[in-house]
Amino acid sequence: MGKYIIQRLLQSIVVLFGLSLLIFFIARVMPGDPARVALGSLATKEQVENLRKEMHLDKPFPVQYYFWITSVLRGDLGTSLYTRRPVTTDLKAYIPATLELILFSFLMSLVIGQVMGVLAGYFRNSWFDGLSRLISYVGVATPAFVMAIFLLLVFTYVLNLTPAVGRLSLGAPPPPKITSFIILDSLIAGEFATALQALRHIVLPAASLAVANIAQEGRITRTSIAENLQKDYVMAHVVYGIPTASTIFKYLLRPSLIPTVSVMGLAFAYQLSYAFLVELVFMWPGFSRYAVTVMLNKDLNAIVAVVLVIGLAFSVVNVIVDIVVSFLDPRVRLQRVGG
Amino acid sequence: MSKKELLIAALSRKRVSFSKGWYKFSRNPLSVLGLVILLLIIVVAVFAPYIAPFPEHAGAFTNFRKSSLPPSLNHFFGTDTVGRDVFSRVIFGYRFSLILAVVVLGLSIPPGVILGLIGGYYQRTRIEIAIMRITDIFLAVPPLVLALAITVMLSPNLFNQMMAISLMWWPWYCRLVYAITTSLRYEYFVREAELTGASKAHILLREILPNCAAPILTKMTLDAGFVITVGASLSFIGLGVQPPKPGLGTMVADGAKRLPAEWWMAVFPALAIVMVILSFNLVGDGLRDMFAVEEV
Amino acid sequence: MTPLLEIKGLHVRFKTFEGDLRVLNGVDLVIDEGEKVGLVGETGCGKTTTMKSALRVLPIPPARVSGGEILYRGKDILKMRPGEIRSLRKGEMSAIFQDPLAALNPVFTVGHQLNDVIKYSLKAQGQEHRSRKDIIARSITALKETGMPDSERILSNYPIQLSGGMRQRVCISEALSTEAKLVMADEPTTNLDVTIQAQILRQLNELVAKRQVSVLLISHSLGVVRNLTERLYIMYAGNIVEVARTKDLFADPLHPYTKALLSSVPKLTGEGISQGIRGRIPNYLNPPTGCRFHPRCDHAMPICDKERPTLFAVGDSHRVACFLHRR
Repeated sequence: MGKYIIQRLLQSIVVLFGLSLLIFFIARVMPGDPARVALGSLATKEQVENLRKEMHLDKPFPVQYYFWITSVLRGDLGTSLYTRRPVTTDLKAYIPATLELILFSFLMSLVIGQVMGVLAGYFRNSWFDGLSRLISYVGVATPAFVMAIFLLLVFTYVLNLTPAVGRLSLGAPPPPKITSFIILDSLIAGEFATALQALRHIVLPAASLAVANIAQEGRITRTSIAENLQKDYVMAHVVYGIPTASTIFKYLLRPSLIPTVSVMGLAFAYQLSYAFLVELVFMWPGFSRYAVTVMLNKDLNAIVAVVLVIGLAFSVVNVIVDIVVSFLDPRVRLQRVGG
Repeated sequence: MSKKELLIAALSRKRVSFSKGWYKFSRNPLSVLGLVILLLIIVVAVFAPYIAPFPEHAGAFTNFRKSSLPPSLNHFFGTDTVGRDVFSRVIFGYRFSLILAVVVLGLSIPPGVILGLIGGYYQRTRIEIAIMRITDIFLAVPPLVLALAITVMLSPNLFNQMMAISLMWWPWYCRLVYAITTSLRYEYFVREAELTGASKAHILLREILPNCAAPILTKMTLDAGFVITVGASLSFIGLGVQPPKPGLGTMVADGAKRLPAEWWMAVFPALAIVMVILSFNLVGDGLRDMFAVEEV
Repeated sequence: MTPLLEIKGLHVRFKTFEGDLRVLNGVDLVIDEGEKVGLVGETGCGKTTTMKSALRVLPIPPARVSGGEILYRGKDILKMRPGEIRSLRKGEMSAIFQDPLAALNPVFTVGHQLNDVIKYSLKAQGQEHRSRKDIIARSITALKETGMPDSERILSNYPIQLSGGMRQRVCISEALSTEAKLVMADEPTTNLDVTIQAQILRQLNELVAKRQVSVLLISHSLGVVRNLTERLYIMYAGNIVEVARTKDLFADPLHPYTKALLSSVPKLTGEGISQGIRGRIPNYLNPPTGCRFHPRCDHAMPICDKERPTLFAVGDSHRVACFLHRR
């Protein structure tokens, strides 16, 4: 098992390296002079030249890459040409917000989606299955920002249950920064009112993101369980007297989770970039929204950093998914390492 | 059997398999519903200038006396902030969505399929490695990011958006076809074709490709909905169809600013988006049922 | 004395796009306590469907029991409630399936599965609180009894790591660990290498003798059933066509199909090549009327097309479903 993990980790490092090269290449090759963009059209030629020298834009490509990669590994991602702050500061500010949102959304989709999927799969072709199918169809067909708007309309404007924007209400003091996760921090600090407020703020955006996942993962789980129910070994378990509850929750769930886990991991990684759709509607100060802003403003350093972060997140998630799958399905482990 | 009898036999076999396919498709009423809705949308989009009550509103039109009107018999979906009929704009908006889907899939599927066939056929050669590594890299980046990055580097409009999305879509088809090709590579019918001297083009296109047809078709239909989602998302942040053209995502973005008071400006375009994606998904599901092999 | 298992006039249909497949057409079968009975027929004749009907694991839909009874110790299984069926499975009826790889859950160790079977069977017998060590010990014993080498180590392996023979031994120990009185074995050695087949069959035979269980051995091979059964049923296209004591059947086959089957088996002495049986197995959508074998039968008479023959008695425990032997 350990051998497998190391294999996967090494693979990801290689992929990340390739990705960094690709991104760097694209960024430098694209039309437009980054220095000029940074300084604006009113800058003099000298100022532009000076900035170019500073940014090493006059040196050959491999040299530029070397400078860049060494500073990245040291933790310096350059300065944002737009906010004028070090990119790492921006990242530290925005990533936790999005992370909290995505994690919460993930939890929602895990609990609701899996329960719905298992029940729909076991009671396939029942009214429950039909209903969950309907919900899934609509859920998958609704882009996140559309869902955000609908939820906003219904729950905030009509029912007045949840607030409209931000992580906390205006003027509310944030809890001490321990993990940068507002909900956790307020719970740790004992500020339960703040925690509740943060919860109310996070529910809608998380739900908007979660619906599509619930729809998709729920269906996959359902299909997987329905398929595996037909397998001979399920029949064998039943014939040999293993009780139904055990058959479903132990023997059926494990192999059925396998396709779901891969999708869940992918969805989780994707949400880091898709979350902006929701962050924009709810004015959530997150990484995804930052990524979009940065791209719209052609902020080179920040764009590169953002893509790297996303690529890193992808690789990490992929490795975790592979490890979980190899735990669930020993055949993967055994075939790879030669068992 | 005479030639005529052979022909009739062949034709009737075709008829049976079509009706059997339709039977499987129509088993699910939702798929039929999806097909109906989809056809309706297509007809409406194609004949937009004749169906929309105010076709001139789908552009730079202003009439501030009739701005921000709620839905009524005259204006089914109300009017927007500058007085344009939302219903007509939605109908024209469908045109952009459908064009986007058609163009993107038309541009990304053929190269993806061909690369997948080649990569899967020439196994263990440098060609395969090259093709699959490139595919992997493209797949390692979340599609939206790539599309965003590219659209931003160039100027934002529908055309560039289509190019950008196509560029990130082809790897999925490459991978799909690659997987099927590798599994069929050493089957008997392929080897027979090789031994009897068939050209590589024949083997790839006439032997292996038909086996991929069903998954490609199904994926294509489901992808259409997904492409429209991506397109709407990009338009939502201003990177797609530019105003005053009526892109559905753009309209939702504009309408979102007027919530909750003038809700119709955002809600109806949003519903329209959901409708078209839903219909594609339902049809795609029906196709999947149609191609599924029944086990007794 | 009530027979252990009695199937009376069982009709089973499968629903498909083209119509109803009338698979079982009135099957009659009896197994007494302690008997070893064989059910022979070619692939697709309905043997597995019969077994699954008795175990009540038929996939309903698309399958459907359209007539008949299955009596276990006199009670109709088909009318039982789920709770009763469950207790049947835990100590009365058990089965060994054809494909051991498919019958074992691929993502759990063999030991895990076997332990669970033993745990629940003990529970059903009222002995709940057995320690884990005790259960593992029983698993090891069960495996050893099937002739499995190195039983302890095998418990921690996954099905994919074992050979076909070992997997089938695991399945056999699972089946027998339920302390069932009736074991139905569906082609237990068909998927195994020829060299292993004999071994497994011999071990199965020993175990069955030791525990005094009744056996229904299903196979398409006459050779397999010859040494292991006391009575034989021959099945064709959803009907029983002949039943007799095994040695009587081999000595004096009466039904044209049985005779053809016997002559199809190549003899080691190399006399002549078998002719096979002309024609094909019937289409269950539109099966032949009357006797389902009549289109392929050299001795068909006009009545064979009109009426289905029931099992006529021709000797001591020897019955044939053929109008040639009607009295």
